[in-house]
Amino acid sequence: MNSDGWLRALAAELHRHGLDPDLARHVVAESATHLRDSGESPLQVFGPPSTYASAVAESVGAPRHTAGVGTARVDAPARAPQTAGPVRLEVRGITKRYRRRPVLAGVDLTVRAGEIAAVVGANGAGKSTFLRICAGLLSPDSGRVRVHGTLGYCPQSGGTADFLHPEEHFVLVGAGRGLNRTQARAAGRAHAAALDWEPAGRTQARHLSGGTRQKLNLVMAALGEPDVLLLDEPYQGFDRGTYLDFWQQLWRWRGDGRAIVVVTHLLNQLDRVDTVLDLTPAREMSA
Amino acid sequence: MLRQLAGCATFFAVDQERRGQWLRGVLDLCVLALLHRRESYGYELAQSLDASGIGPIQGGTLYPVLLRLQRTGLVSAQWREGASGPARKYYRITPAGADTLRRTAVDWDAFARGVETVLREVQTR
Repeated sequence: MNSDGWLRALAAELHRHGLDPDLARHVVAESATHLRDSGESPLQVFGPPSTYASAVAESVGAPRHTAGVGTARVDAPARAPQTAGPVRLEVRGITKRYRRRPVLAGVDLTVRAGEIAAVVGANGAGKSTFLRICAGLLSPDSGRVRVHGTLGYCPQSGGTADFLHPEEHFVLVGAGRGLNRTQARAAGRAHAAALDWEPAGRTQARHLSGGTRQKLNLVMAALGEPDVLLLDEPYQGFDRGTYLDFWQQLWRWRGDGRAIVVVTHLLNQLDRVDTVLDLTPAREMSA
Repeated sequence: MLRQLAGCATFFAVDQERRGQWLRGVLDLCVLALLHRRESYGYELAQSLDASGIGPIQGGTLYPVLLRLQRTGLVSAQWREGASGPARKYYRITPAGADTLRRTAVDWDAFARGVETVLREVQTR
């Protein structure tokens, strides 16, 4: 890695660590000066950008830190105590069977503005079914869902159009949410930037990597700033850095007063959310 | 022969690790002491530390120490153009830093003398 590439990576990592932007700029500038003075390779002097960024964040007492590679735990920024916002999503007594197999039995959930609800449960517990019902893509056998405001939904996979470029997706979805072409492109690019993704270019969706396609899905869900975001394991295929960016983005959205429902099986995030809905059937829990 | 080499490598690694541990305990003090002489910037401090025999200190180790010293108010920092060359972040010891340095240097002296006394018996045996 050359110095410029290394310094850019360092800037991105410091951002991920939530370092004050001014301070981060100074750290990068100081590293650049040192590299120019010493003429040595950045990896030799500072090590990998992620490692150095962690050391810097720790020494300045940054608000959050990330654990070692592999665990990818993300600490949520401390929240100012606040009264809960208005109810955005109300789910009451949802029941759903596939043939004769009950998948959801009387599920309730309330999510207010500025809250994140995590939906957990084993494979086949009905997490995606539950989200599709909330999104109105699937009818429950009984029960009701009320959404107060606008809705964005990010499916687990699919959802992109193979032969369209990312920006064409933005325009298409944006049109449905009252954004003109320019606004849609700008909003899409802004959301993409938060995920460290540069969506310009004429790559058709079918040629994007799995992780990038999921970023596209996530950006589409967020276009038009919906009040409620339903996210079905949107981080599949994300590398570790993007995964951290994703959670940062969730907390920003929460801070902006969105109501968020996210399907996750990564239990280490659960103490960072406001509500946990466990769809594991009772008989399995007692087993 | 191979076995010997492997043993050597292990010893070397342990040796490096021990040096690293020693350094962690005193690097901030050494930095404070150097800044007590005169204000300086990161690369120059690294060179001074190397020249004094403490060993090569990489930027990845040095700058976090400087940031911590700055955060705890023991040094202050300022971006400035040097007499020649580009702008650099100059560090200067604060009165609180000088105070800490004085007190801790006394502690260190007592500690190091104790270690030296014990270890000298081994050397002279």
